[in-house]
Amino acid sequence: MKTKSRHKWLEPHNYLSLQLWETLGSALFNLLIFFMLFVYLFPMLFMVATSLMEGIQLRDRNAPAYPSQQVRFEYQGKEYLVYNVPINGGVRQLALVEPKQTSSKFIDPQNPEDGLIPWKGSWRQLKGVYRFHVTFDNFKILFSSLRIPEMVKNTFMMTIISEIGVLLSSIVVAYGFSRFPLPGGNFLFYVLIATILIPEKVTLIPTYFFFARVLKWQGTWLPILIPFFFGNAVYIFLLRQNFKSIPKDLDEAAMLDGAGPLRILFQVILPQSWPTVLTVSLLHFYYMWNETRQAALYLSTRRDLAPISFGVQSFQSLAPIQNQLQAGALILMIVPVIVLIISQRYFMRDMVVTGMEK
Amino acid sequence: MSTGNTKRLRYDRRFGLLLIAPWVIGLLFFKLLPILASLGISFTNFQLLTPEQTQFVGLENYARLFQDEAVGYVLFETIALGISTIPLQLAASIVLASMLANPRLKFGNTMRTLFFLPSIIPGVAIFFMWIGFADPTTGWLNKLILHPLGLTGFNNLYSDGAVALLFSISSLWSVGPGMLIMLGALQGLPPEIQEAARVDGAGPLVRFFYITLPLISPAIFFSIIINMIAVFGGVVLLDRGSVFSGSFSPYDGYVSYILFDKMDLGYAASLAWFFFILVMIVVVALFSSARNWVYYPDREA
Repeated sequence: MKTKSRHKWLEPHNYLSLQLWETLGSALFNLLIFFMLFVYLFPMLFMVATSLMEGIQLRDRNAPAYPSQQVRFEYQGKEYLVYNVPINGGVRQLALVEPKQTSSKFIDPQNPEDGLIPWKGSWRQLKGVYRFHVTFDNFKILFSSLRIPEMVKNTFMMTIISEIGVLLSSIVVAYGFSRFPLPGGNFLFYVLIATILIPEKVTLIPTYFFFARVLKWQGTWLPILIPFFFGNAVYIFLLRQNFKSIPKDLDEAAMLDGAGPLRILFQVILPQSWPTVLTVSLLHFYYMWNETRQAALYLSTRRDLAPISFGVQSFQSLAPIQNQLQAGALILMIVPVIVLIISQRYFMRDMVVTGMEK
Repeated sequence: MSTGNTKRLRYDRRFGLLLIAPWVIGLLFFKLLPILASLGISFTNFQLLTPEQTQFVGLENYARLFQDEAVGYVLFETIALGISTIPLQLAASIVLASMLANPRLKFGNTMRTLFFLPSIIPGVAIFFMWIGFADPTTGWLNKLILHPLGLTGFNNLYSDGAVALLFSISSLWSVGPGMLIMLGALQGLPPEIQEAARVDGAGPLVRFFYITLPLISPAIFFSIIINMIAVFGGVVLLDRGSVFSGSFSPYDGYVSYILFDKMDLGYAASLAWFFFILVMIVVVALFSSARNWVYYPDREA
């Protein structure tokens, strides 16, 4: 074979390097995204690490960032802290037995029989020796100062009740918007979108008076749950977009078979749009898990009815130290995070599709 | 035959109204009537502690509003917040979505879920986390980021600079829904158009600005609406900002202060109504501008 290819890159050697570039670029791209993700979620790492720390570590400036404990050494029935001591040109790990201002005495944990080692200098400048150590005390304190199981139960009850209401009403209304000629054409739909943008405060005072003073619903879940039975504009919007994307041919076929509009909704449309319904119900679940505003208005006198976010929020006023606060944050977020991980296959895909139109 | 059709249409119209009736009733009782009642309250000197002394005071509250220096300040802050966070969130969501839509991405679904994760964490947990993270003595912001970079770091968590920084970081942290909307739009793009432009010699930047961006303009529009609501002090999809200082929106926070701390309901109602009018002007402007820059494949929806 004398003839050489005129295209140099087609030669096996160069072709390989092209593939190498592809792979390298791909690897760099994935590395970059992974790094971005690490930076993005870095504060969560702080939350988890700090919630597993003892209070004493937070006050220690020299302590490492991960949950740890200064190494101790037991000598003659007493425990002493171990420090990194610069001595004779090297650094040795010694336990501090006699702390003094200018000179202290140490013991070597490796050879305690050598006796006390004198050292000149301020022991407060020394850095300790730490080892990985986690504690669950913060969670014990959290569970003893807040009634977490009761709050979780309350949140679940509120979520289930309002979920039924908001799903039923939003589905029916979205069906009306997507399939029926309404007076005023698209005007009502624009009103629906505009209501999403109405600032909450402009309706707050009369609504509060109506619920609390007229209906005497103060100290109950009713003012939080009842409005959901009249649909939610965002959910109606998302469902309507999805219903519109379902071809009408099937409706018409069912109609010719004599099915009424409600039967078409439940037997033709809903079986095809269950991912969107699932997405909406998950959005509502996350919303209820986040709920503090309405609870602050109506449930401030009934702590036993408090949902979890509102309950954990009050933990801050009990002035706990950072690590307990982070334990509270971790307990609060764990259920939504688990739900997201379980549902990600449907939720993420459908959120992606739902946002597409309009 | 034609009478049958009109009969059918009339039936459909009635049935449609019946279907949307729950929403119409809710609109009436939880939006329209309260908004009108708020307008009524805004013309009175209604105080929570002395309701029997309520009197009609005309436009006095509105006159007070225009003289209140704090109103100008929080309004400016709210607009500044909107101008700084909405484009930031939009840009971040587009960049992130284009990266996550790249076919070279490994573990795509897991990555998307992890970037979305902060958006479903309850606001209270996010608040605890950020004040802990930025705490000058025990947090990681000084210890692991600012000090190793040779910066002085924060001494006071509640100083203006620290709060502003926390606001912008936390707004980036809730980029999830916007990112998913963009991702959906990007994945829905027909590849043929990109291919045709590539064949015609358009570079990647030209293709992005002249083809991709106009095609995903509906998603940009939707995303702007979603992001604006947090600035207005509302809750939509997954709003996580509201726990900071009572509300993400400075104006909304000031209304809360007048409402819950001063218990001056008449003045609070006028503040809320004034803001409502401003918001509606923005909404109408946004929707009417949409004709000029939002692309609809079919004008039907």
